[in-house]
Order: sequence, then structure tokens, then C-alpha cells
Amino acid sequence: MTERPEPYEDRAPGPGPYEDEYRIALLRERLAGDGPAELGVRVERRGGVVLLTGTVPTSTRREEILDLARATLTGLTVRTDVAVAGRDAPDHGEELS
Amino acid sequence: MTLPGPEPTGREAVVRVAAVGDIHLGEDCAGLLRPAFEALPDCADLLLLAGDLTRHGSVAEAEVVAGEIAGLGVPVVAVLGNHDHHADTPDEVTRVLRDAGAHVLEGESAVLPVAGHKVGVAGAKGFCGGFLGRSAGEFGEPEMKAFVRTARRGAERLARALGELAEHGCAVRIALTHFSPVPDTLAGEPLEIYPFLGSYLLAEAIDAHGADLAVHGHAHLGTEHGMTAGGVRVRNVAQPVIDHAFALYRLPLDGHPTRPHAPTARYGTR
Ligand SMILES: [Fe+2]
Ligand SMILES: [Fe+2]
Repeated sequence: MTERPEPYEDRAPGPGPYEDEYRIALLRERLAGDGPAELGVRVERRGGVVLLTGTVPTSTRREEILDLARATLTGLTVRTDVAVAGRDAPDHGEELS
Repeated sequence: MTLPGPEPTGREAVVRVAAVGDIHLGEDCAGLLRPAFEALPDCADLLLLAGDLTRHGSVAEAEVVAGEIAGLGVPVVAVLGNHDHHADTPDEVTRVLRDAGAHVLEGESAVLPVAGHKVGVAGAKGFCGGFLGRSAGEFGEPEMKAFVRTARRGAERLARALGELAEHGCAVRIALTHFSPVPDTLAGEPLEIYPFLGSYLLAEAIDAHGADLAVHGHAHLGTEHGMTAGGVRVRNVAQPVIDHAFALYRLPLDGHPTRPHAPTARYGTR
């Protein structure tokens, strides 16, 4: 049996707040990983909810990310404010003189 | 220095630079940027691609990028990003982009004729490692030394390419990287990951050789505007940052002479 420091011994089995932290970290890792390879999304805990913000290239990519977030963070409330990057030509440029 | 021949009439002596990075095209993204890119001949003299053109660096994704940029009617100059290396086939990605007509630079330069002048682009992917006073040192375990050495070699390749441009007498010189040379353009990214977003060694190379503009990507959550310690303007053109198919910059071709910086021994001799 592994010796554990006080805070862990006291904890009841099953998901606790600290496990949520690791699941959020796992989501960040999965987002940046082999599949989505998405570095433009920020995952933050805001009180009781997890907030996803940032910009992705396509709406399909955004749906994939939301699905992954919901699957990784089951039981947590996930709120999203992920934008799709603009693909239009700019209407003006910057003068660098 | 001006090339022989008269200045085309009715045309100001400026170079119009279009630039974008981090388009991260997957296999399902064909045609995504093409409509905007088709407008380039009307508004730009060249297109710079600041790396992370693919999602995973696969040849199939590189072919999607090739389809977006082939036959655009303006020269395309690119560097690869870390994502374009993920499949461990950066040479294949480079070959596909070159077959589509792009100049793909890694420690190399391209000199393009614009309105009777020469515009030079020096390109290298660069690497991370951090910024002044907050960077990793080449010390300790072999993995750590290899990491820091990679950053140093990336900056040396950029310096070599900038050195090449000095010999051409370019009216405008642009440094093109994927990783950032300065922390300014990272504002909006978590401070803790700054060391993974760029390296001050790139800025040192740029300031040692001089340039009129430095363009990079990689920092999706960063901001567009920055400047090196030596006063060279830096622009982060990651697509999520500029929120357009590309950003446009206009630089005077005859406003000022090329500054002949003497390269420091550190970059000039290795
Ligand atoms: Fe990227
Ligand atoms: Fe990147």
C-alpha cells in the first residue's frame, strides 16, 4: 500500500475537485496532441464551469473540439466561445514607412 | 540599389507584402483560402507563409496547401512550422510546396524583383528557448543541450540567410520565421509558455544584420505588433491573430538605403 500524504488520505473515493483539474489538463493535452493538433484554444476553469476560448480554422474543427471537450469532461459544465478565423482578404493594409 | 530600367509609370515605389501563417490546413480544407488568395495579384507583390501550413505535416495535407497557392500570379515565399514537421517528413512537405512554385526557405534567402527594385526575404523556421533573461541554457543533460542547440542553430540559419541578402543590395529586406523573435507579439498567450513560443536569438540575428520587417506565426493567441530591441518591426501573422486570409503591409522601396550592419562574429563565422 502506498503511503499518501494527509490531504489524499482524507479524501473520499470517487471524483473530487482535484480530479477535475487533471481531466482539464488531459483535455489540454488531447487538444494539442496527435488528433486535433489544436493550439489556438484555451481551456480555463471559471468557478464551476470550464470555459473554452480561442480561434480555429473551420467550423468542423470547432465541433470536433467541443465533442472532445464534452467527452473528456463528462459531468462538468462546458461553456464555449470559440470563433472561426476569418478567411476574407483584408480591406486595408498597414503602411510601414 | 535600383535595377536598371525605368520605374513603371503610375506605380508608387512600394512593395505590398501579403503574409499569413498557421493556416493549419487538414485534408478536408481544400479550397478554404483559395478565393481570398485569388485576389492577391490586385493587392500584393508577394505572399509570405509563416509556417504551420498543415495540421500534422503529412504529404496529403501539404498537397492541400499546394492547391491553395499554385499559380496565384504572385511569388510565394514560405517557411515550415513545427506542425509541418510532425510527421517527420519536412523534406517531402518542402518538395510538394516547391512543386507548387513556392520558395521554401530554411536558412536560405529569395530575392524578388518588385517595381524595378530587389526585395529580399530571409527565412528559417527558428525554434523556441525563451527570451532575454528568461531562456534556457546549454547545460546539463544531453536532451537539454540538444534543445538549446536547436534554437541556436535555427538563429544561425536565419543569420546566414540575412547575410546572403546583404550581398544583393535589396531595397527591402524581410526576415521570415515561424517562431517569434520577440515577446511583444505573444501578448495574450499564457506567460508560462512564452519559452515555447520563440527565441531572442532570432531577434539578435535580425538586429545584427538589419531588416525592414520581421514576420512570424506560431502564437495563435498573441497579438500582431511588436519590435526588436534594434527597432525592426515585427508582425505576428498567425491566421487566428490577423483574422483574415492574410495581412497586408506596404513598405517604401526607395525611402531609405539598406543599412549595412556588420554581422557579429557569432553569426558571421559559424
Ligand atoms: Fe500554429
Ligand atoms: Fe507552430
